[in-house]
Amino acid sequence: MHWTIYAGVAILLWGINGLFMKLGTNRVSARSMVIWVTVGFVVLLPWMWKLTSLAGLSTKVLMVGLIAGAVNGLGNWAVFACLERGAKASVAIPLTALYPLCTIALAMVFLRERPTGLQWIGIALAVAGGAMLSRESEQATAQQEQASCVR
Amino acid sequence: MQSEKARLPIWLRYALLCVFCWGLWGFLSKVGSAAASPLQMQILFTLGMLPVAIGMLLHMRGKLDRDRIGISYGLLSGVATGLGTLGYFAALRQQDASVVTPLTAVFPILTVALAFAVLRERLNKVQMGGMFLALASIVILSI
Repeated sequence: MHWTIYAGVAILLWGINGLFMKLGTNRVSARSMVIWVTVGFVVLLPWMWKLTSLAGLSTKVLMVGLIAGAVNGLGNWAVFACLERGAKASVAIPLTALYPLCTIALAMVFLRERPTGLQWIGIALAVAGGAMLSRESEQATAQQEQASCVR
Repeated sequence: MQSEKARLPIWLRYALLCVFCWGLWGFLSKVGSAAASPLQMQILFTLGMLPVAIGMLLHMRGKLDRDRIGISYGLLSGVATGLGTLGYFAALRQQDASVVTPLTAVFPILTVALAFAVLRERLNKVQMGGMFLALASIVILSI
């Protein structure tokens, strides 16, 4: 199969997932969502294990991968809590998709990487875009917080 | 009064926490991917998520929400993310990451369109502009 079909599948599933996340947090708590999402990931484990194995990986790489998974799980909880507290999916999903900004900052500090000119443009757009996306009207914010307090 | 106005809304604080966690995840992935394949990393991510899920379950004292539709959305979210990632890896086997990654990074457009059509969400003009800037930056930063 052509690679564009695989890429299209990724876009479709990740895009629809944003809707599932919002619809799910409308009905169950953020903590429950983390648990069920993890179950959804675990279901795919046997299939992935058929395609590869972890043999030959150093303890350091194993630990880095496991810690990355745990941090990813905490990030999932945070985005579900964000949606649970009334954030719109159309705001929360593009806003949290700006996470490469943080990755670049960490790589600059710990790996001494320097962003390219194009990346600096991306960083500037991300900061401006993130600030604008967060600009919910005070009335809407008050309604969201009131809804979360009632809950 | 002034400090009350300047306070970040709760949803935004969680969104920023998510950006930090996922950003750290991206950084650790970058470190780990020097020695492990994307699929091996995906297995490790899944195993690493388990303690967090178990911790949440213990924190809830085993009392999971029982709304079947909500549970279905949670499961679908996990499977959709996992299968989407496998699709992404499959595309990477045939094409360079510099092409595949920016292309797949446009997925929030679909979420925004679905949220508009299904959830009847509406963005204000500033947020609409922010969304386009964010999408442009997501594509640029993933190159």
